[in-house]
Amino acid sequence: MTAAPLLKIEDLRTYFYSRSKQAFIRSVDGVSLEIAKGETLGVVGESGSGKSITALSVMGLISGGPGVISGKIGFKTDSLQRNLLHQLEDYVTITKKDNRIMQVNKEEAGWDRHTDHLMDRIRGKEIAMIFQNPKSSLNPFTPVGKQITEAIQLHTAVRSEQEAKERALSWLDRVRIDSPRLRFDNYPYGLSGGMCQRAMIAMALACEPSLLIADEPTTGLDATIQSKIVDLLAELKTELGITTMLISHDISIISRLADAIAVMYGGTVFEYGPAKEILSSWFTSKHPYTTALLTSVPSAQNIREKGYLQAIEGDVLDTINIPAGCRFYSRCNRVTEKIRERCERCEPELREIVPGHKVRCWLYYE
Amino acid sequence: MKLSAIRPIALVLSRELTITALLLLGVSFVVFIILYLSPGDPFSVLLEGQVSTEEAREGLREAMGVPKSWYSQYLSWLTNMLQGNFGTSVRTGLPVLQEVLRMGLNTVVLTIGSLFITLLLAVPLALYSAVRGTDRISWPLTMFSYVISALPVFWLGYIVIYFFTHKLGIFPMAFGYSSGGSGSAWLYALLPIFVLGIGNGTVSEVIRFLRSEMSRVMAEDYIRTARAKGASVWKHSFKEGLLIPVTEIIASKIPFILGGAVIVEQVFNWPGMGKMAWQAAQDRDYPVIMGVAILAAVLVRLGSLFQSVVYVAVNPRASKE
Repeated sequence: MTAAPLLKIEDLRTYFYSRSKQAFIRSVDGVSLEIAKGETLGVVGESGSGKSITALSVMGLISGGPGVISGKIGFKTDSLQRNLLHQLEDYVTITKKDNRIMQVNKEEAGWDRHTDHLMDRIRGKEIAMIFQNPKSSLNPFTPVGKQITEAIQLHTAVRSEQEAKERALSWLDRVRIDSPRLRFDNYPYGLSGGMCQRAMIAMALACEPSLLIADEPTTGLDATIQSKIVDLLAELKTELGITTMLISHDISIISRLADAIAVMYGGTVFEYGPAKEILSSWFTSKHPYTTALLTSVPSAQNIREKGYLQAIEGDVLDTINIPAGCRFYSRCNRVTEKIRERCERCEPELREIVPGHKVRCWLYYE
Repeated sequence: MKLSAIRPIALVLSRELTITALLLLGVSFVVFIILYLSPGDPFSVLLEGQVSTEEAREGLREAMGVPKSWYSQYLSWLTNMLQGNFGTSVRTGLPVLQEVLRMGLNTVVLTIGSLFITLLLAVPLALYSAVRGTDRISWPLTMFSYVISALPVFWLGYIVIYFFTHKLGIFPMAFGYSSGGSGSAWLYALLPIFVLGIGNGTVSEVIRFLRSEMSRVMAEDYIRTARAKGASVWKHSFKEGLLIPVTEIIASKIPFILGGAVIVEQVFNWPGMGKMAWQAAQDRDYPVIMGVAILAAVLVRLGSLFQSVVYVAVNPRASKE
């Protein structure tokens, strides 16, 4: 985290208005993250922790209906520097009355147009994204190869059909799809889930983006295919040095790829630091939630130590009624008498406890 | 088009044509039975005003060469039909096939024209509200089109005639009466096409169907992918969100529009199949009724044939089956 960051998210808040509850669902509630060039940032957390919404906010894909975004997303390459949320808030007016949000007026057409303008030459070209459920993420009516050449022709200098096809074929080969020439004309339904994800990766990387966002890239795939996709991502990482934001609920996948890890909970970052510190057993000043996540991984060691697999007690945070204190308080097993009151009443800050490692927990306030 | 793309279409065509042949046989039989069982027959109509005794009718039947039992009547019609002979009209003596085709052409113009008007109104509105939701622009327009759709066509037809022909005098009075030559003949066609296009309940239904289909497709994962890669959302949503639903609508609405055409043709004195059927039913003109029924069934089948071909051509998965 020393070089100038490629992507710098500052205090990102993505809220969805619930008309019936007259309140915001605070899916992402003040997230700050940064990714340096060449680095892989792993974002881990339970479902509903706001990781995917963070990624979709970066891509400007929060459009439909009540989504409201604020904060700053700085994106900087050698040739381009932009705040991806620049003046986006101007399109939203919020009417409040006695702490209740009475109305959220969003000028959708203007919002969409402005987002498209901000994301111009970024989506697909500078930031590419791959999703979970690769099979449904590819257009079922278009041959897989055609979908890759479309991206190439949109974002690179390559215009001719033949040249784009050659390039797509070389990418299909690179993501280890065998007989790419045959697969090129296949429709997504003719390919397995793993193959579709490989094709998605080829499509994302074919335009040589500065940043790849992988949102749960292995979820929904068979376990053996999962590890092969992770192998492929690891291989591409060493070969090409792509900057990646890897999102997963599965810390074992994150642990294989990430240089830095952000642990998210209830729309905020609980812990943020180098992967080797977060994953190691010698680094003990972790957030209780991180520790709980690590011990709930179904690994042989975890099961051997306890005799059973430890799960995290309680349910995921309800992001409408966020408690005043620590968001994890009700599920935390390390609350001491000394800090109990603070845990219940005030939310701790994300605090740097050793250089480059931040934790949001009262345990580490002296 | 590559050969691999034509093969599935040919398969579908042959399957559809087989179904059509069987269906036409069924339709002709059912219509014949209904005619046979319903009161009255062409002979009494022909002998109207004269002493219609049983002997006179029998004599007429024999003179016209019509078999006595119902099954030999049907079989003789069927064998003639298979040779391309649909008989002659009892009333006018003109060959049925020629007449039905001539009138049918007018009805096809009316049907396709009104479908075009319906789609012209419904598609932009449906797409707009699928993408933007209901807002200040789409809500009043949608409501207006719902109200218009709810008006019965015969009433709307008379209102339109009253205003445009009597009051304003823009459109000629009736088909064929115009002295202005062919120019006003097609001008006259606009009124019934328009009335059938906006009335008859089709517009609201088409809007609702297209909007729900398009919104569903817009929420699909692959549309999100298209947006994430900076590609055109329209280009990716077009096939599933618009092309397939529109062909479905066309196919499923044709029988309904033909039904509406019967009424509109009466109101506007439009020389089409519906008016012909109406007249033939009054006259118990069996050969004409049979001819019209067969033609209507053919039109309906053409609609679904069109739908199947488009579906197979568009959907790679369907063509593999």
